[in-house]
Amino acid sequence: MSEGSTQDQPINSLGVLLAHALAMETDAAERYGELADQMEMHRKADVAGIFRRLAKAEQKHLDELEEMCAEMDLPHIAPWDFKWGGESPEAIAVDRVSYQMSVKGAVLLALHHEKLAYGFYSHVANQTSDGEVRRLARQFADEELQHVAWLEEWRDKCGPDDEKPFDDPDPPLSQE
Amino acid sequence: MESCAQKKKFLAKDYKSDLKPIWCPGCGDYTVLNAITRALAEMALPPEEVAVVSGIGCSSRIPAYTSVYGFHGVHGRALPVATGLKLARPDLTVLVTGGDGDGFSIGGNHFLHACRRNVDLTYIVMDNQVYGMTKGQASPTTAPDWEGSKLTPEGTGINPFQPLVVGLASGANFIARVSSSDPVNMAQIMVEAIRHPGFSLVQVLSPCVTFRPEQQEWRDIVRTAVVDYTDDAARAARRLMTDDGFNVGKVLYKGSRPPYRPEFENTDGSIGELEARFAL
Repeated sequence: MSEGSTQDQPINSLGVLLAHALAMETDAAERYGELADQMEMHRKADVAGIFRRLAKAEQKHLDELEEMCAEMDLPHIAPWDFKWGGESPEAIAVDRVSYQMSVKGAVLLALHHEKLAYGFYSHVANQTSDGEVRRLARQFADEELQHVAWLEEWRDKCGPDDEKPFDDPDPPLSQE
Repeated sequence: MESCAQKKKFLAKDYKSDLKPIWCPGCGDYTVLNAITRALAEMALPPEEVAVVSGIGCSSRIPAYTSVYGFHGVHGRALPVATGLKLARPDLTVLVTGGDGDGFSIGGNHFLHACRRNVDLTYIVMDNQVYGMTKGQASPTTAPDWEGSKLTPEGTGINPFQPLVVGLASGANFIARVSSSDPVNMAQIMVEAIRHPGFSLVQVLSPCVTFRPEQQEWRDIVRTAVVDYTDDAARAARRLMTDDGFNVGKVLYKGSRPPYRPEFENTDGSIGELEARFAL
């Protein structure tokens, strides 16, 4: 069984922290990208733009992380053995979105998950007994805080139109 | 330089095709696709050693969204196609995907006999209790009092089909129910289902956010089943008798019936020899 399978234990190994970080950033980049694709498919360009921008930001994190651990032999952790349990904190649950969601709704949803990611890394930093894990977890938490700040700024700029769900003039109808 | 992510044999994204899904945003089928690709990556199955077979319906589009072999078949006929494929190519891991209408109505008879034959297949049914692709008619698993369709304005008045009960009674060798709101658990159960020999049935509660928007509440209604699996079919049946359909996240039943794997005789490719065997 992998080291990461004991979910209530603190992370005291750099390899385990990096394995978690890689999984989280991969999930986030892919999920934001999938949500952008979904919204583009349904011609919701404004909301798609938010998710696409976040996907690119997460991909940048992921690229940096992959470079950081390129020469390392990281432990394998099954998806169900990660410390967070369930889906990774930064990945928006697919069933929380709608083709009618507002721009502000998308920003708030992303903000919620970026805060969860910050919370995860902060928790790791506070719980660990390893100095290097603590330093790196705090660095990752600070990076997530940059996304939080960026989304909060975006949220505050949202006008009344950004709060309205998209109206569908031709909604899906049950069989008449 | 090889990145650390690339050191893993396969990533979940390696099992996805370039085709973008056209499901409605919020649809549970997205998470089923993600769970399948996660499960295959975890098992490190080479994409060329996996096939996904489907029938017709929203959820039956899954083969197109994967990079493995795929067969998008005829309505309700996914299981016969998959059975033939598995018997001809036992080396392949064969998954079957579809919805409740495709599997339990149009393909209902095939479902019974696929369970009975116990060929080594994994059948993943995305159950949303409605025909979504044709704009929202009652399906075999729809509650009798659902009045959402003009075709059944007072509800169907018919008790819904019970997939797990029927699957168990018909001989399915592995039975589980999961929720699309927990894709990681779903992936774990799928790994177990694929590894278990014989016919594995995985019912996924997968909301149709367009024609059954009230199903979005399922995420708050479902609960993790409190008991672990049994290998005793009678005990599993008793559990299902008191089941309300929202116990998810664990395997209900793992049987030990040997899968149907016919031995093929070497006929040296002689058609005449084959004809002679079936001569009247």
